[in-house]
Amino acid sequence: MSKTILLSACAVLLSSLLATAQMSHQHGAKPACEGTTLACATKVTPTFAPDGTLWLAWDAGGFVSVARSTDFGHTFSPAVLVNALPLALDWGPDARPAIALDRQGRIAVAFAVFKDKEFNGQVFYTHSEDGGQTFARPAPITADAESQRFQVVAFDPDGSLFAAWLDKRNRAPARTRGEKYPGAALAFTWSTDHGATLSDTRLAQDNTCECCRIGVAFAGPGRPIVLFRNIFDGSIRDHAITTFVNPTTPGPIYRVSVDDWRIEACPHHGPSLAVAPNGDYHVTWFTSGSARKGLFYAHSSDGGRTFSSPMSIGNLDRAPEHPSVLAVANTLWLTWKEFDGTKTTVQLMASHDGGKTWSPPKAVAETSDYSDHPLLITNGARAFLSWQTLREGFRLIPLEEFS
Amino acid sequence: MKKFAWLTLAFAVLASASVGSATIDNLREFGRGSWNEILRSHTGKPTIVHIWGVTCGPCRTEMPQWGAFLRERPDVSLVLIDADLVPNERGAVAAMLDEAGLGSAENWTFADAFVEPLRYAIDPQWRGEIPRTVLIARAGAATVMEGVADFDEIRRWLNAQQPESRGN
Repeated sequence: MSKTILLSACAVLLSSLLATAQMSHQHGAKPACEGTTLACATKVTPTFAPDGTLWLAWDAGGFVSVARSTDFGHTFSPAVLVNALPLALDWGPDARPAIALDRQGRIAVAFAVFKDKEFNGQVFYTHSEDGGQTFARPAPITADAESQRFQVVAFDPDGSLFAAWLDKRNRAPARTRGEKYPGAALAFTWSTDHGATLSDTRLAQDNTCECCRIGVAFAGPGRPIVLFRNIFDGSIRDHAITTFVNPTTPGPIYRVSVDDWRIEACPHHGPSLAVAPNGDYHVTWFTSGSARKGLFYAHSSDGGRTFSSPMSIGNLDRAPEHPSVLAVANTLWLTWKEFDGTKTTVQLMASHDGGKTWSPPKAVAETSDYSDHPLLITNGARAFLSWQTLREGFRLIPLEEFS
Repeated sequence: MKKFAWLTLAFAVLASASVGSATIDNLREFGRGSWNEILRSHTGKPTIVHIWGVTCGPCRTEMPQWGAFLRERPDVSLVLIDADLVPNERGAVAAMLDEAGLGSAENWTFADAFVEPLRYAIDPQWRGEIPRTVLIARAGAATVMEGVADFDEIRRWLNAQQPESRGN
């Protein structure tokens, strides 16, 4: 009897998810095609495995798919679907599936679905221990039922898996007390068994901005660095950074820049973070604050305690957006999107002196229709731009000729 | 009893659908060229363009104030553009317009996933932050108000616009 109830409850949940998945067709950015292939994806997340293989995770047609390429994105292995049934995947402008690989080729994948029309989400986690041929059945990343979105997964230098996301679990108790709970908490968990199981969820910070991607890097084993749009007193949504003291203890929260962006809405425009071999932090972000507006870059030589004064990036008359920063050996790369009236270009700058001076911006790719965020990745030796565009599909562009 | 509840629900759904339908029908798709069309059709009239979105918290509070403003100044040339940062759903847009008493205004909704050209036409510097209000003077000069509008300032602006010359 109880089994029947459970089954019918599952059926109801499933049909509502399917219905939402169908609805989301009209909502999300219009894909190039209706299927689940890479060509139909509007969001593609790239990463290099430690062995130099390129891996992509993308969402298309209600499925998260994973495929690998050993020739820098020219050809791909047959894609493997991570979820068994179509889902209402999070189509938020700054959301995307997350993927990470360890040295043994184990794969961690996390993705979010929308649970309702109020943009409440649920993050699912899965992993593969056979090189991506099969994935475990996706399971909720946390037992809490309120809302989770904007997940990130990353293996630290010792091979432990760190996962972080934005979590609204403290909203319900606040409501019970008759209080408002702005934003979402920055939540995290670890896996010390190569991604097979996750520890209990902990919160690093309450009341961060709920609709922007977060940046994650490592200061060392067990010491993640998280860059996020925080909500400071007075609904000021400026950026903050924390470096963990140990795997379960976030360090002090430092403010990256006083932009003074008072906004009670969702900017949908998260930051990017990179750590150079000398330990310097490099950050880039968007703001529309009263102190400054546009894209900015800054660096820190003291673990995020203080940052250089924000450097403006891009041509303000071309609405620069979605910046990304990468450090490879002694070169720093910065990229972002601009729109010149007819086409969207990806602009690129390089620095060889730790971010003090930068090359003039150069357009390295363009498109004249919908495009995903431009993302920078490295295989350890070389820098690449990864860009999914509706018209041209997936592109992986090596950057050394532009340095 | 249960049946009654179902019927009530069904009627409520039907009622809300029928209220929204006229607004949905009049909701114009904002695509490439729409901004010029708006400017052309309002040439010579001081025009207020308000840009908003369903998922924008401050917009939810502000929209009824726009409804009240339109009742106060029914003669005003007002254009509303729904340009949410998330894709725009016509049903939700129409419902919110009706709720704010703005269903009969000139309403547009962003209708292209390639939003860059739509934003660029309105203002090359605008990356889509809402709410936003553009005051266009009779001769075409535009004043941008970022964030929630200050209606006293809008009234002052309107009052300062030169009356149309009546000819002789």
